Amino acid sequence: MKLSRIVRWEFVHAVRSKQFLLMTVLIPGIVAVAILGASSAGAFSGSGSSGPSTPPPPFLIALFLAVILFMGSFISGVMTMYGVVREKQSRVVEIVLSSVSPFEMMTGKILGLGMAGLLQVIAWSATAYYVASRFLPTSLASLALVHWLTYPIYFVLGYLFIASLYASVGAVMKDVQSGGATGLVGLIPYAPIAFTKFIIENPDALAVRIAGFLPPFTPAVMMLRIGAVPMLSEGTRFVPAWEIALSLASLALGVFFMMRFAARVFEVGMLMYGKSASLRELWRWGRRGAS
Amino acid sequence: MERTVLHVEEIVKDFDGVRAVDGISFDVERGEILGFLGPNGAGKTTSMRMVLGILRPDRGAIRSGIGPESGTIAKDTTGYLPEERGLYDDCGVLDTLCYFGELKGLPRAEAARRAEEWLERFDLAAWRRSRIEKLSKGMQQKVQFAAAVLHTPDLLVLDEPFSGLDPLNQDFVKATIRELRDAGTAILLSSHQMNLVEEMCDRILLIHRGRRVLYGNLADIKTRHGEHVARVRFEGDADALARIDGIADLRLDGDRASFRLTQALSPDAFLRALPDSITVLELSVSAPPLHDIFVRTIGGGSDEAL
Repeated sequence: MKLSRIVRWEFVHAVRSKQFLLMTVLIPGIVAVAILGASSAGAFSGSGSSGPSTPPPPFLIALFLAVILFMGSFISGVMTMYGVVREKQSRVVEIVLSSVSPFEMMTGKILGLGMAGLLQVIAWSATAYYVASRFLPTSLASLALVHWLTYPIYFVLGYLFIASLYASVGAVMKDVQSGGATGLVGLIPYAPIAFTKFIIENPDALAVRIAGFLPPFTPAVMMLRIGAVPMLSEGTRFVPAWEIALSLASLALGVFFMMRFAARVFEVGMLMYGKSASLRELWRWGRRGAS
Repeated sequence: MERTVLHVEEIVKDFDGVRAVDGISFDVERGEILGFLGPNGAGKTTSMRMVLGILRPDRGAIRSGIGPESGTIAKDTTGYLPEERGLYDDCGVLDTLCYFGELKGLPRAEAARRAEEWLERFDLAAWRRSRIEKLSKGMQQKVQFAAAVLHTPDLLVLDEPFSGLDPLNQDFVKATIRELRDAGTAILLSSHQMNLVEEMCDRILLIHRGRRVLYGNLADIKTRHGEHVARVRFEGDADALARIDGIADLRLDGDRASFRLTQALSPDAFLRALPDSITVLELSVSAPPLHDIFVRTIGGGSDEAL
């Protein structure tokens, strides 16, 4: 199938690049070696075992995942955005679009670069976990089944959502310097991070519950809620299964629409060389497609 | 077997309220090269993009005369050589060709086999593992050409296929295009190089400001629109020559004269009208070059050029 071919091409293309090697292997490696080296030299002596001996609660892990999610999807989103802009400038897009549909091209890019980004995120998380475990009682023991089941899904879907959002921004950019107001759209999903404290303390507030069903905010809000609710109630209550199911369904739907939106914006924006579109045009194209 | 590979009917495309293509119709047949001409900004690229399914026409229809369904043109059956080259600079030559072949529906092994074949043919086999940015402009052009024909398309759209090629490679690409035509490919060729169009094309389509201005058999168009150019070396009465009705732009230079035969005077009529007071030593009458037809139709034609 052509889609899987595009995914593979984009993935291999991204993973082979020098920047990727640098970001995925070299930088985490150097950071890990530096921190561990410093610690064995006694720079952090005393801090190693004096911390609390209880494992970190799920909401902390949720927060960690949310931050990683945003960093990782930001990077793969930007990679997609640059990839789209570059392809537009080199005119490869004309060859590809004379072979496949804009939806196939866009989805292939998002999935392929998303996979490369995930690989990067996994490398960072593993490094972070390894380094942290030297100083803190890091353990995943506090994670219940519900966390194991839901976090990866929120993570991957959230990832795709944000990457598609960035891809549609990239499709209307003339070059990597120009973004203007359109670039700010990419910041929307980051809003919940600012409200982390409120969400953790009031995981059942109406506003938080509603935000959990809105695709751009779902991953962060729901992961935090699912972590915080059992903790506040000391294990007597969990986020209701229907809320989890509904939020996942709405997020999945959101991903689909975001990818289609990106493909439509792309279809119109791709061949408009030499000008960047305004926010209003972005919306108009995405809704109606090529007019 | 249906001869017409591509039917284009009255296609219209607007960009932000500006009409780029305004009701153009044409057909491309199996085994022919249709020359697609027009000044810059006439709507050629937009038309080609619509034919290839990159853009959708606002109105009108693009139908395929072949294949199971004759609705839109299936993307797997078309090949495109865009005017501005589009290749991944940092990828290998062979990898890129395989990828483009696979996007056109070829299985991986088959795409690889054909890519090797074309590289061999284009004398690029030694470069198969090189990154594209290491290749010269002419070599990249040949790689791009190979990418357009790898999957043996039924309809091949070539936009300025000779730009950036040295004379040797130009001849080589010309021969390849003719071979494809003889094998039955329908070819739409756009170029500003009139002599090449004249040499390669059976029929032409000339558009101006989004509209069709000329369309049909090249020889017919020349007879219809052109004014023949005549050159004579003669002895005798030059004034008698000048008195022939229908001669224009007469230039005399000793015993030589050159002039145009206006529409009213066909070459045959001209021969019959030659007065006895002139002895013709040498005579040539030739069809007008496509260049002249282009310039006259676009420049002197409808309204003022911008």
